[in-house]
Amino acid sequence: MKKLMTILASCLIATSVLASEAELKTVKVGHDVQTLERGVDAVMTNCHSCHSLKYITYRDLVAAGVDAKKVDAWRGDQPLSSALLAQMSEADAAQAFGIAPPDLSLMAKAREGGVNYVYSYLLGYYVGPDGATGNHYYPPTKMPDILGVSTAPQDQQAKIQDTAHDIVSFLSWAADPHGDERIRLGYYVMAYLVVLTTLLYLVKKRVWSKLK
Amino acid sequence: MKTKIINWIDQRFPLTSFVEHDLTGYPTPRNLSYWWNFGFLAGFVLVLQVVTGIFLAMHYKADVSLSFDSIQHIMRDVNYGWLLRYMHAMGASAFFFVIFVHMARTLYYGSYRAPRELLWWTGQGLLLLLMATAFMGYLLPWGQMSFWGATVITNLFRATPFFGDQVVIWLRGDFTVGDATLSRFFSLHYLFPFLIIGAVVVHLVALHTVKSSNPSGIDLADHDNIPFHPYFTIKDLYGLGLFLMLYSVFVFFIPDSLIEPANNIPANPMMTPNHIVPEWYFLPFYAILRSVPNMVGGVVAMGLSVIIFAFMPYLDRSRIPGGARHRPIYRVQFYLFMIDMLVLGFVGYYPPTDQSILIGQVATLCYFGSFFIVPFLSKVEERWLIKRGLPPEVMALIESEKHEISKKGGKL
Repeated sequence: MKKLMTILASCLIATSVLASEAELKTVKVGHDVQTLERGVDAVMTNCHSCHSLKYITYRDLVAAGVDAKKVDAWRGDQPLSSALLAQMSEADAAQAFGIAPPDLSLMAKAREGGVNYVYSYLLGYYVGPDGATGNHYYPPTKMPDILGVSTAPQDQQAKIQDTAHDIVSFLSWAADPHGDERIRLGYYVMAYLVVLTTLLYLVKKRVWSKLK
Repeated sequence: MKTKIINWIDQRFPLTSFVEHDLTGYPTPRNLSYWWNFGFLAGFVLVLQVVTGIFLAMHYKADVSLSFDSIQHIMRDVNYGWLLRYMHAMGASAFFFVIFVHMARTLYYGSYRAPRELLWWTGQGLLLLLMATAFMGYLLPWGQMSFWGATVITNLFRATPFFGDQVVIWLRGDFTVGDATLSRFFSLHYLFPFLIIGAVVVHLVALHTVKSSNPSGIDLADHDNIPFHPYFTIKDLYGLGLFLMLYSVFVFFIPDSLIEPANNIPANPMMTPNHIVPEWYFLPFYAILRSVPNMVGGVVAMGLSVIIFAFMPYLDRSRIPGGARHRPIYRVQFYLFMIDMLVLGFVGYYPPTDQSILIGQVATLCYFGSFFIVPFLSKVEERWLIKRGLPPEVMALIESEKHEISKKGGKL
């Protein structure tokens, strides 16, 4: 028993050590159309030149409620059904950065920590003592500090955080476009199951009451 | 008209007698607790997996250049494709959860004891089939964890004596996990559920021969058995309602909680993920694999850790019925074993450190130790309990069992 307690205790210690490795900022993503529109706007301005979102089409954006005029401006002469591919070719990007920028469609789900990671990463840039820009959350990153968080004056930081929040909200939608629908449906399913299970319980009680 | 049709069928096929013998009239002990609901739940999840799987297969492409995209096609474009996929992915976890509880109940109440050895062994075979099916299904999304998980596990077959390397190539159909592996895993992932269904039929035939065990461990007199319908149909349905609530919480509200983030990155043979973890249901066995420093030894230990349950009918030498219920020492042992499983699960999840390797090794020793100690402990415990005085109904069963054995000429 004593041995067991020691094992359990060391397990708990091990867990806490691992958990404190990366302290992520937490973010509450927005689900409304305005946030989504601001988010896709920021993504098209800041990310889209290098990063693709190959599972999202321009039609998906219109269907999600983004202003059709804006979408038309972004897509130019591409059809509505085309995916949001990066403006820079993968080969050029690889040449410029040494690595092809990853597709962002699933980014909000593809990293440990999810949206919190992406948010922290975007805001995690700093200028080191040698004048080089680094990132707290992903030190080997090749991506420049696109939001300018490491150099912006104090009074602009809040605005940058808002932009990061919008970007992350959009990426969260992009990774799971049916997420809101899923949760809405989930409430109905749960309500139905609660009623059904209660009824089944009552029937069960009644059937079993026949036994003495 | 109805009776006429049924009569016509009954002359040619034992329809009515089958329904009466195995469904409506099947005698079931009235004292079964809710822990006996899990066999039915396992059957339900099996049907759920087959149905969702068939529909997913209509939209899935087993091709290294298409499969990741086809999953996204299912998640985004197919009507309620996200629901099908999450139901299937969470269904795999639900299946293991239900089976683990089902097995834990068997171990706790000693339901594997004579005459239920074959029932227990067919269940053991089902567990192996389920593990193989889940493992092959996990490759299909062709994410990073799919690819590296399959690479690590197929690589274990290198431990085969004499022609290990050839076995690995034979399994993969290539020198590395690739298109050949993906398409054969898809084919077998579609085949195995039907083997499982066949094995379930065998499992049920065995069950209906020896009938359900029950919490007392005592074979009940006839008046303590009640017909399966309506008593257990309604009890199973009520249990199903509770189960579906838990399942729906996962499917609708936290469907990504059991999917590794790295599996949302397409498989990349040139880039190994930081640490490769199997799905939660394989973690204890994975921890045992990693605890043995030698690869062959690790593979043998992992295989043994799954198979060893089959020996329980012979390891447990106590004649006291009702399993842990009437056996305080076995009960403590059971709970310690459950804790040991959890410890192994944690160890399997975290990347190995000196500390976690040591914990894993101690837990592995406890795991096998708790099986090896059963033959001695069960006998010692039996002597102690008999000396201390057993409850009269337990005494009565031991007597009747003795009587049965002598009647059958000393063999049971």
